[in-house]
Amino acid sequence: MTGGYALALEHIARRFGRVQALHDASLLVRPGTVHALRGENGAGKTTLLRIAFGLLRPDAGVVQVAGHPVILASPADAMRLGIGMVHQHFSAVPTMTVAENVALGNHGLYRAMEARSRVTEIAERVGFTLDPDARAGDLSIAAQQRLEIVKALARGARTLILDEPTAVLPPLDANELLAVLRHFADEGGAVVLITHKLPEALSAADDVTVLRRGRTVLAAQASATDVEALARAMIGGAPPPTLRPRPNLPGDVVLSAHELVLRDSRGAARVKGATLQVREREIVGLAGVDGAGQHELLLALAGRLAPISGTLHAPAAVGFVPEDRQRDALVLDFSLVENVALRGAGRAWGRLPWRSIRARTAALLEHYDIRVPQLDVPAAALSGGNQQKLILARELDGDPPPTALIVENPTRGLDIAGTASVHERLVAARDAGAAVVMYSSDLDEVLAIADRLIVMFDGLAHDVPLDRGAVGRAMLGLT
Amino acid sequence: MTGALTGFLEASVRTATPLALAALGEVMVERAGVINIGLEGIILAGAFGALVGAGGGSLVSGFCVGAVSGLCIAALFALFAVTMRADQIITGTAVNLLALGLTGALYRGLYGATGAALTIPTTGSLPLPLLTRVPVLGPVLFDQPAPTYFVYAAAPVLWWWLYRTHWGLAVRAVGERPESARVAGIAARRWRWVTLLLGGAMGGIAGATLVLSQAGTFAEGISAGRGFIAIAIVVLGGWNPIGVLIASLLFGAASALQYLFQAMGWNVPYQLFLALPYVLTLLALAGFAGRRIQAPAALGRAI
Repeated sequence: MTGGYALALEHIARRFGRVQALHDASLLVRPGTVHALRGENGAGKTTLLRIAFGLLRPDAGVVQVAGHPVILASPADAMRLGIGMVHQHFSAVPTMTVAENVALGNHGLYRAMEARSRVTEIAERVGFTLDPDARAGDLSIAAQQRLEIVKALARGARTLILDEPTAVLPPLDANELLAVLRHFADEGGAVVLITHKLPEALSAADDVTVLRRGRTVLAAQASATDVEALARAMIGGAPPPTLRPRPNLPGDVVLSAHELVLRDSRGAARVKGATLQVREREIVGLAGVDGAGQHELLLALAGRLAPISGTLHAPAAVGFVPEDRQRDALVLDFSLVENVALRGAGRAWGRLPWRSIRARTAALLEHYDIRVPQLDVPAAALSGGNQQKLILARELDGDPPPTALIVENPTRGLDIAGTASVHERLVAARDAGAAVVMYSSDLDEVLAIADRLIVMFDGLAHDVPLDRGAVGRAMLGLT
Repeated sequence: MTGALTGFLEASVRTATPLALAALGEVMVERAGVINIGLEGIILAGAFGALVGAGGGSLVSGFCVGAVSGLCIAALFALFAVTMRADQIITGTAVNLLALGLTGALYRGLYGATGAALTIPTTGSLPLPLLTRVPVLGPVLFDQPAPTYFVYAAAPVLWWWLYRTHWGLAVRAVGERPESARVAGIAARRWRWVTLLLGGAMGGIAGATLVLSQAGTFAEGISAGRGFIAIAIVVLGGWNPIGVLIASLLFGAASALQYLFQAMGWNVPYQLFLALPYVLTLLALAGFAGRRIQAPAALGRAI
């Protein structure tokens, strides 16, 4: 009964050059439901959703919206039919304000007052806050996501497609977002959600569809399936063992900050006198609500932000994995070899030894299990998970290996296998003697991998025991 | 003394007019993310078109043919740089060379190698009633030929269009982040075409102004680098139509300085003043660009 679906993609196939991204993928979304789409990296989830939003055309298969076969030649077509998308990598124009971004694509006069009140009104209706006058480029990731949702709703979207919306959010915000989506579905809208968190997929969604290697391998109601069944469907076998941190003995202090004061790009004080030490052979987890100063602290520890006052001691060789890998860690148009050569390029002199960099790149790809067609493809051709693995490989495998490693949301957008392998690498780096500082907006991830925990609250660093409740309270400033 | 000063200011505005026309068109183009180096060739084509159009004795047809000539050259540029995604700088350079060769060949072919004196109508100044009587500024600003008044109107209208309409917002988004614009349902390439055609017509009118309001005749290479100066003016004006208007006046004044010095009887080599606008161009590009005001992020990038 196709007529009953808000959005139906049936038997979709799509090829990119020599890569068949989708063989036979179907996704049937009922109105009034939240639908979770799952699958490993490269399973074709993003491709399928890009087809649903008119960014790509399918080679074969049928797309139906509200029971009518449609051809989505562009996002404009999709939006006209009430389909809105929140992208994994946000699509706002960074130099424009929130209100201008929401108004983008409209016709007629642009009235700033009207645009502003429209943003506030939609945000209020769905239950969050968003400053209409902030420049989109200055927004935190959570706020950028709110902007994307408001943009879609301002267009009258009845079906919302979200590509990994909770991956970047701290637990509280993630729950809030899921509540917003649930509310939207209860009012008759439909939601398609890519998520990597299995329990989330089951608890937040009504229906689940699993893709593996471009095919739909499971489509069921969430109540009729369980975590193991989903994991098996995704991987086509048993899930990899979860990792347990091993006890270890921290060594000498490698990174230390005393009374550190830092400002963000707009000149607002974000870190207001933080003192902390990180020793070799330990992973220090960093937690904090959005904007508590952890981002600036990480930048300073990595040598990317100069302190206003206070002292900071850091070794010369610090590996850094920034949060926004496409913007800050890779030059997407450069080949993999060139991207690998970028590490330390600011300090390097003379001729580039391409032959050895090429060999090193090939070794990294092999060693870190990064799957690419060939060495000379641009970094943009890699999937998100493989991009992250490449960055991690480049930073970890330096010569000499880094004595300190700063990582920010290292598993954002990665699947189960990818996340496990990143965690493994971080633990291995620690065991090899590195001082590791990791921030993740996923508190469970921090708790799972850290040896010690520091919570940022209002620009100050607090040592907090590895306990979920204690960390949660510290993040909100309740001690 | 006052006479010399008034004369200088009046000459500044007159010299600034074609620069402002071309630069206002280029602002639109650059806000959509295209840098049209071919502006020089567009002005030249507009100048030649004006000569042909006004040959029959009609000023209106002179300006129209000038505008259409500029538009045609811009369409050629757009075909390569937008539709075929060729490099904008190389395409623009090629367009300039083409316009220089084409106008030269046609001019000699149509009017003879000597370029015998042609009589074409020219615009006289059109003093605006009442406003001309304002002391000093009156005669400077409001005793000018019609294209100058067109500039006065075009700058605020363009500003309004860029910042107060959704179309303007769309154009700015295309210049900043064309991918985001596309996702918002904006036809990014179409907007690049539209702004290029409009900018081409403006550049053509700039060329027509050179012939019909200033020189009174055509000469090969009459544009004399004004297209490049207009591009520098766009930078100096911070990609804002009002800023561009002010920057144009500054460049106009720099060009007009030679008249003032002659009038004052100061004995300074005139070549120095001929060079002044070009020196100012270099300073604008080196010193002022990229300070506080950022260029459109996708400027020069094919989409």
